[in-house]
Amino acid sequence: MHLELTEEQQLVRASVREFCEKYIEPLADAVDQEPCFPSENVKRLAEQDWLGIPYPEEYGGAGADYLTHIIAVEELSRACAATGSIVEANASLVGFPLFKFGTEEQRKKYLTPLCKGEMLGAFAWTEAGAATVAYGATTAVSEGNEYVLNGAKTFVLYAPVAGVFIVFAATDKSKGTEGLSAFIVPADTPGIKAGEQVKKMGLRGALTSELVLKDCRIPKENLLGQEGQGFTIATTTLDGCRIGIAAQALGIAEAALEESVRYSKERVQFDKPICTFQAIQWMLANMAIEVEVSRYLTYHAAWCYDQGLPYSKEAAMAKLMASQTAVRQTDTAVQIHGGIGTVKGQKVERLYRDAKITQIYEGTPDVMRMTIADSLLQ
Amino acid sequence: MLKVITCFKWVIDEADVKVDASSRRLILDRVGYKISLYDRNAIEEAALLQEKHGASIVAVTVAPPTAKQCLKDALSRGADKACFVNDPSLVDLEPTQTAALLAAAIKGQGDFDLILCGEGSSDLYTQQVGPILAEKLGIPCGTYVNKLTVIEGEKRVIAERKLDDCVEIVSIQLPALVTVLPDINTPRIPTLKQVLAAGKKPVDNITLDKLESPSEPGLETTSILGATMERRRLKFGAEAENIRAAVGALLKEGVIT
Repeated sequence: MHLELTEEQQLVRASVREFCEKYIEPLADAVDQEPCFPSENVKRLAEQDWLGIPYPEEYGGAGADYLTHIIAVEELSRACAATGSIVEANASLVGFPLFKFGTEEQRKKYLTPLCKGEMLGAFAWTEAGAATVAYGATTAVSEGNEYVLNGAKTFVLYAPVAGVFIVFAATDKSKGTEGLSAFIVPADTPGIKAGEQVKKMGLRGALTSELVLKDCRIPKENLLGQEGQGFTIATTTLDGCRIGIAAQALGIAEAALEESVRYSKERVQFDKPICTFQAIQWMLANMAIEVEVSRYLTYHAAWCYDQGLPYSKEAAMAKLMASQTAVRQTDTAVQIHGGIGTVKGQKVERLYRDAKITQIYEGTPDVMRMTIADSLLQ
Repeated sequence: MLKVITCFKWVIDEADVKVDASSRRLILDRVGYKISLYDRNAIEEAALLQEKHGASIVAVTVAPPTAKQCLKDALSRGADKACFVNDPSLVDLEPTQTAALLAAAIKGQGDFDLILCGEGSSDLYTQQVGPILAEKLGIPCGTYVNKLTVIEGEKRVIAERKLDDCVEIVSIQLPALVTVLPDINTPRIPTLKQVLAAGKKPVDNITLDKLESPSEPGLETTSILGATMERRRLKFGAEAENIRAAVGALLKEGVIT
């Protein structure tokens, strides 16, 4: 049994860590507080070949494995969760459906610029009345050589800066999820517009807005996969993304643990550093255990993915555990810091807010449990 | 085309070294390793020369076989080939031993124009390996270099040496050895494609039976202990009597006499 990363994976971890110290950490507070989109760093991420890690070089990717992508997302999220989510969303949420379901032409035209960082993508799935199952409000009607899209999507991550959208819309409303289809919609298509930005609690640099489609006409060739395949495309994509969200949560939890260890050694109360008190030591020990468990589940899910094994259950377990850990342990980290932990500019304050969304997007803990239970009861 | 050799050392990442509070013994069982920082500047300088003038770069190191990972690290930073002098006995070497092994390995690599080394290693910082290596190879050596210019067609380099009280600009005939300071450049962070390509580059594995055994060490290490700093946690205000109290405390601790 091998529980060791390859030399390449270890080198990537070291290089991402160095990159974070140099470029990501210094900006992380501004990215969160303003909030702003770190576009200079996105260019640098592209130069490092980290925007399309698991895709072949012929599509501008690096041709590495998914675990390498996961390690990069983990390390970036450790420094700035919003930046980690750029790499994760671009490669998994948008890159994956293009690679897996796209035609050769679609891959060349859209996946390549995503991997090279020439543009970012956004995944327009959620609708105001439905999240896990999105169908109804957005429709696509076939007219000659075109589809005409109408409707509105909400919580579209990176909609304000995206160059291309994967939009899910009903081509046959009567069929429910079976009537959903996926479309590639370039951001400069007339009739598609990012709405007002959502003011979020955490992951604030990951700009999010609604997306409005009004008589948005796209050529038939922009259908991704087949008509009616939209739900399968979305669920397959989200399965893999969950490993990426687990990596984000893992990075956040690791940062919370590091900050807590550091602070508890510095902070003196009753004439001793607070790390000498067992109450604090138990908190740190519990944090470390949960971080380690999350890491193994996350890496194992990515390993299954790389081996071509089934990974839905593993991804759900990893996401559930890592996101619960991130939420619980950023809370503990703020507790260890005391009052100062609630002050803006303190890393743990940001981590505490960034953690929550990992429990929600790409599926809540209950949805993860449904997936796990389905797999047990099949 | 310029033939450049860079020497590097695989050292313990000092951030991972812990000190046992009671015995002051260094706890090294969970340490990570890295290419010594100034050696990264040496490799980067070679990569920059390669971009500017075209150059082949061989990265040479002396280490135990367990340090194998250092090869891909060096190769991902720009070297075309690695030369790995390895044997389980090659730990905690003295500068003379390291320099002798490097010299023997470099002689086996054929002609070269320029050898680049870091000014000193992150762990011991003796600053001796570069100059001893130059001496063993019988070539000129420029130390403390923070700017290096290759004069094409003349087989020489202009080196700026940053000394304590001045900057000395020297012209050095090639082949030569130069040791570099950290402000000569900013080492790049390897891209993912460079990391993946590193595994496909050639490595010369040189075991000790192909070289002379290193000389016996001349030094004996009796112990290595961590320096500890105990804080007294005394606070003083800015008024005159507080200053007296501060001076009194410094006298009592023996900081001033």
